[in-house]
Amino acid sequence: MKKRKYSFNFILGTVLLALTLIPAIVGLFWTPYDPEAMDVSLKMAGISIKHIYGCDNFGRDIFSRVMSGSAITVVIAVGTVALGSIIGTILGAFTGYFGGIIDEALMRINDVALAFPSLLLALVMVSLLGSGKYQVMLALGIAFIPSYARIVRSEYIRIKNLDYVKSAKLAGASDLRIMFVHILPNAKTVLLSSVMIGFNNAILAEAGLSFLGIGVQPPDASLGRMLSEAQSHLFSHPSYALLTGCTIVAIILGFSLLSKEIK
Amino acid sequence: MKYVLKKILSCIITLFIVSLLVFVAFALIPGDPALSRLGTNATEATLAAMRHQMGLDRPLAVRYLSWLADALRGDFGTSYSYSMTVSSMILDKLPITLTLMLFSMILMVVIGVPLGVYASYKEGTVIDRIIQIINQINMAIPPFFSGILITLIFGVTLKMFTPGGFVSINRDPLGFFAYMFFPSLSVALPKCAMILNLLYSSLNGEKKKDYVRTAYSRGNTSNAVFFGHMLKNASIPTVTFLGMALADMIAGSIIVEQVFGIPGLGRILLTSIQNRDYPVVIAIIMLIAMIVIVTNLLVDVLYKVIDPRVGNQ
Amino acid sequence: MAEKLLHVEDLNIEFHDHLTPETVVFDFDLDMEEGEIVGLVGESGSGKSMSALAIAGLLSRHDMKKRGSIVFEGKEILNCPRNELRELQGDEICMVFQEPLTSLDPVKKIGWQVEESLKIHTQLTPEERKARALEALKEVELEDPQRVYDSYPHELSGGMRQRVMIAAAMVGNPKLLIADEPTTALDVTVQSQIVELLKKINREKKTAILFISHDLSLVRQLCQRVLVMKHGYVVEAGSSEQIFNNPKEEYTKKLIAAIPKCKETGDDIEVGEKLVDIKDVCVSFTKRKGRATEKVNVLKHITMHINSQEIVGLVGESGCGKSTLAKSIIGLIKTDQGSIINQESRTQMIFQDPYGSLNPSKTVQFIMEEPLKNLTKMTKEERAALSREMICKVGLSEEYLTRYPSELSGGQRQRVCIAASLMLKPKLIIADEPVSALDVTIQAEVLKLMNELHQELGLSFLFISHDLRVVHQMCDRILVMKNGEIVEEGDREQIYNNPQHEYTKELLKSAGLL
Repeated sequence: MKKRKYSFNFILGTVLLALTLIPAIVGLFWTPYDPEAMDVSLKMAGISIKHIYGCDNFGRDIFSRVMSGSAITVVIAVGTVALGSIIGTILGAFTGYFGGIIDEALMRINDVALAFPSLLLALVMVSLLGSGKYQVMLALGIAFIPSYARIVRSEYIRIKNLDYVKSAKLAGASDLRIMFVHILPNAKTVLLSSVMIGFNNAILAEAGLSFLGIGVQPPDASLGRMLSEAQSHLFSHPSYALLTGCTIVAIILGFSLLSKEIK
Repeated sequence: MKYVLKKILSCIITLFIVSLLVFVAFALIPGDPALSRLGTNATEATLAAMRHQMGLDRPLAVRYLSWLADALRGDFGTSYSYSMTVSSMILDKLPITLTLMLFSMILMVVIGVPLGVYASYKEGTVIDRIIQIINQINMAIPPFFSGILITLIFGVTLKMFTPGGFVSINRDPLGFFAYMFFPSLSVALPKCAMILNLLYSSLNGEKKKDYVRTAYSRGNTSNAVFFGHMLKNASIPTVTFLGMALADMIAGSIIVEQVFGIPGLGRILLTSIQNRDYPVVIAIIMLIAMIVIVTNLLVDVLYKVIDPRVGNQ
Repeated sequence: MAEKLLHVEDLNIEFHDHLTPETVVFDFDLDMEEGEIVGLVGESGSGKSMSALAIAGLLSRHDMKKRGSIVFEGKEILNCPRNELRELQGDEICMVFQEPLTSLDPVKKIGWQVEESLKIHTQLTPEERKARALEALKEVELEDPQRVYDSYPHELSGGMRQRVMIAAAMVGNPKLLIADEPTTALDVTVQSQIVELLKKINREKKTAILFISHDLSLVRQLCQRVLVMKHGYVVEAGSSEQIFNNPKEEYTKKLIAAIPKCKETGDDIEVGEKLVDIKDVCVSFTKRKGRATEKVNVLKHITMHINSQEIVGLVGESGCGKSTLAKSIIGLIKTDQGSIINQESRTQMIFQDPYGSLNPSKTVQFIMEEPLKNLTKMTKEERAALSREMICKVGLSEEYLTRYPSELSGGQRQRVCIAASLMLKPKLIIADEPVSALDVTIQAEVLKLMNELHQELGLSFLFISHDLRVVHQMCDRILVMKNGEIVEEGDREQIYNNPQHEYTKELLKSAGLL
C-alpha cells in the first residue's frame, strides 16, 4: 500500500514558489549584474545567454532587476502581513473575547474599513504617509489590520463559547491564558490560511500601488514599477512586460495553490 | 420594510463616520496646504491670508462641520492645484468610470456565473477540471497585468482596438463604448475567477446538505434538485460577494484606467494624491465610500428577498 | 412465496473511497409485510442508516458498491436506473430524516415542500395539491395548517418541523415510510408525540414503517418486529416481544441491559451537610430584538440545595434553564437576585458534548494538569504523578496522557473529562447531560464509572439530564424543572412512584415509566 503524500497542487505550488522566491531571496544579496547599471549599447537588447531576460530601455539587465524587484516586493509583502496579522490578531482577540462597547465601536469602524478594497485604503494611507517602500509597507499593513481583526474576532467568538473554554475557566486559567494558550492555537488554521491569502493580497496591492507610480520610488525597483515601465515598450518589446508580469502571477499562483492544500 | 429602513439608517451613520475619519485624517497630516499652494517663496503675511481664505485658521470641529454642510449640498470646495470646483472636476469624469464599472460588473456575472454553475454541475468530469485549472491561473493574474495581456493580444497582435485610442462619449458614442469593452474585460476577468470559484464551492457544499437528500427522496430528477433547490441556496453567498466585488472593481478600474489611458476618476485621484490636492482626494474617497455603501445596502435588501431567514431573528 | 411488500436479501454495501474497500453492511436480510412496523436498532456505525438509505434508493455515490437484492412489490430496485427508482421515491417509498431543520430546504415555504412529491408524481391541479397538502398537515396534528403552509422552516419549532417532514412524506399515501432516527433531535415529550403519530398513521393508513433508532425503549413502544445490528451485521431478528423479553445474542442482551434501570438499593452513603444552598435565585437575559430589548427570565425563584455525598438529579427539557442553573452555581453567570452559597470553590463541570469539551490542540496531560498549574503550587513531577493516578482511576492507561482528543473515542473523551475534573479533588461535580451524546453501551459504562467514583471518593454530583431512566439509575434526590421553575422535588421513589405535578407525569409517560 503506497500512500500519496503530496498532491499535484502542492508540488506545483512549491515549484512555482521555488522558481520565484529563491531568486528573490538571492536578489537581496547578489544579482548577476547591477540592477541599476545602465549600458546604452545594450538598450532594448533581446534575450541572450548573457542576459537571459534581455535588457530594458536604459540597457539594464532585466533578470537582475526582476531579482531585486521581487526581493523588494516580497519583503514589503512579508512586512505588511506581519504588521497586519499581529496587530489584527491582538485586536481581534481582545474584542472577540471580551465583547462590549469597545468591541462594538471598533467593529463599526472595521466594517467601514472592510467595505473598501485594500488597495483603496492603501491609496488613502499612501496619500497620508507619502510614497516609498517603508511607507508602502506601513500603509498596506494598516490597511490589512481590519480583515485580520475580523477573522480572528469571529474565531474567538466561536471558540469562547465552547465547553473546553468553560472548563479552562473552571480550572482557574486567567483571561490572558485562555486567550493565548487555549484559544489561539485553535484559531491557527484559520489564521494561517488568511496569512497566505493576505500575502497574495499584499503582493497584488504593492504591485498595484507601484504600477500607479505612488508605491516604491526609484531607484528601488519593484515588480509593479517594472511592469508600468515595460508597458510603454509593449509594442517593440513585449517580452519585458510578459516576463515581469509572469513572475507576479507565478508567486501568487504558487501561494494560492499552497494555501488550498493547507485548508 | 422596517428592515430596509434600519439598513438605510445604519448606512447614513456609516457614511458620517467615514467622512469624520477621512476629514480628520487629512487634517492631521503634517504639511501646510497654504504653503504648498503658494510655494516656498510666500511671505508669512500672504501665507496667513491664504490660511484665512482657506479656512485653515478655524478649529478642526468648525472646519469639519462647515465642510460637511457644504458637502451635503454637493459642494466639496475648490481644488488646490486647479482653480476648479471639485464637484465639476469629478462630475466630468464620473460617467467614464461608472461605465467601466457597470460593464465590468455585467461581464463578471455573464462570464463567471454560468461557468461556475456549469463546473459544479459537471463536478468531477474533465470539463470541470479544465475550468478549474484555467480559473486558478486566472485568479492569480492581477487586473493591470490582465490589461497588459489584453492590450498585447487584442490590441497589438489582433488589432481589434487601438491601444490608447480613447474617444470621449460626446465625440463618438459608439467608439467610446467599443473602446470600453476591453478595459472592462480586464477589470472583470480576475473577479470572474472569484465568483466562479465561490459559486462552485458553495454549490458543491450544498450537495452534501440534508435537504438535498430529502429532495431526492421525493423522486426529483438530479436536474430538479440542482436547479430547483440548490441554486437558490448557493446564490446567497454569491450575492454577498457581488457587493464586495463592486468595491474591488473600483480599485481595479483605477488601475486599468492607467493601462488603457482612460481619463477617468482614477486618473484625477492619482494626480491629486501626487499633488497633495486634498479636497479632491477627500471628495473622491467619499464618493467611492458612498458607492460602496449604497451597493452593500442593495445587496442586503436583495439578500432578504432570497433568504427568508435574514432579519427575522 | 407470498408477495411481500419489501424483500431484502444479502445486501452488502462497500465503500471504495479508501485504498482498501470497506464493507459497512454485510448480508442484510429483511422482509416486510404491508402495514407492518419494523424496528432497526443499533449503535452509531452499525450500518443501520446505510441499509435504510439503500432501501430508499438514496445511496448512489459512485464510490459505493451495493450487492444483493432489494425487491419492492415484486420489482428489483437495487442498482436499477435512477429513472425507474424515481417512480417509487416520494410516491411509494418515503423517508423522514433525523434533523428536521437541515432536511427541509431553508428558502422554500413549507407548502411548496409538502406539495413537491405531488407535483412530481401526480397530475393534480395546484388547487387540488394545496387541498391535499393542507389535509396532510392537518393529519399530522399541526394546529393552524394554513399558517404552517405559508411559513418557512426556520419559523417552526423542532417538533413542528418533524411533523411537516412526516406530512410531506405521507401526502402521497406511500406504502412504505422509512424513518431514520426521526426522534433523536427532539425533546422527550415531543419524541413520544411523534411515536404516537407514527402509530396512528400506521393504524389509519396501513402504511408500513421501517423505524431506525438507537433508542430501544422507543422501538419497544412502536415496533412489532425488531432487527438488531452491530458492525454491519444483523445479529438478531425477531418479534419485539422475543427480542426484549428473551434475547438470544450476547450483544442484544448487553444493549437491553444498558437501558438504565432502577438503582439497586442498599449501597446508600450517609448524606452529609449542605454543600450548595440556593435561595430564591432569579436569572434573566436581555435578548436583543432589533432596537428593542426583551427580558427573558431563565430562572425564576429557584430554591434548592445539594448535600455532600449526594447525587441530585435535575430533569427537564431543552431550554428549561437547567444549564443556566449549573452555570450560576459555579459562578459563570451572574444572578439577578437571591443567594447562592457554594462551599466547594473548586466545583468542576462535565459537559454534554465530549468533542467540544476537550481542547483539540492540547494533549490529555496538558488538559488534566491545567487546573493544577493555575491554582496550585505543585511541581512538574507531582502534577505528572497525579495525572497518572487519575487517568488510571477513570479506567484508561497512562499512555493516553500523550494523546490528543482527536485520537480518542467519545467514551474515552468523557472519561478524560471526568479525570480532569477530579484533579483538584473537588467535593462536587456538576455533570451536564454527561452521557446523552454517547451510545447506550458506552453510556452504561460511564454511568458505572461515575457511580464508582461517588462511592469511592464520596463525591457529590449534580446530575443534569433529560433522560429520566438515567436519572433514575443514578440519583438519590430529583428536581424536575420546567420553564425556569422547579415544579417538583422529591426522593427517587417518590418522584417515580407517586409523581404529583402534571409535567412530571407527562415526562414519565413519554419515557414509558408510567
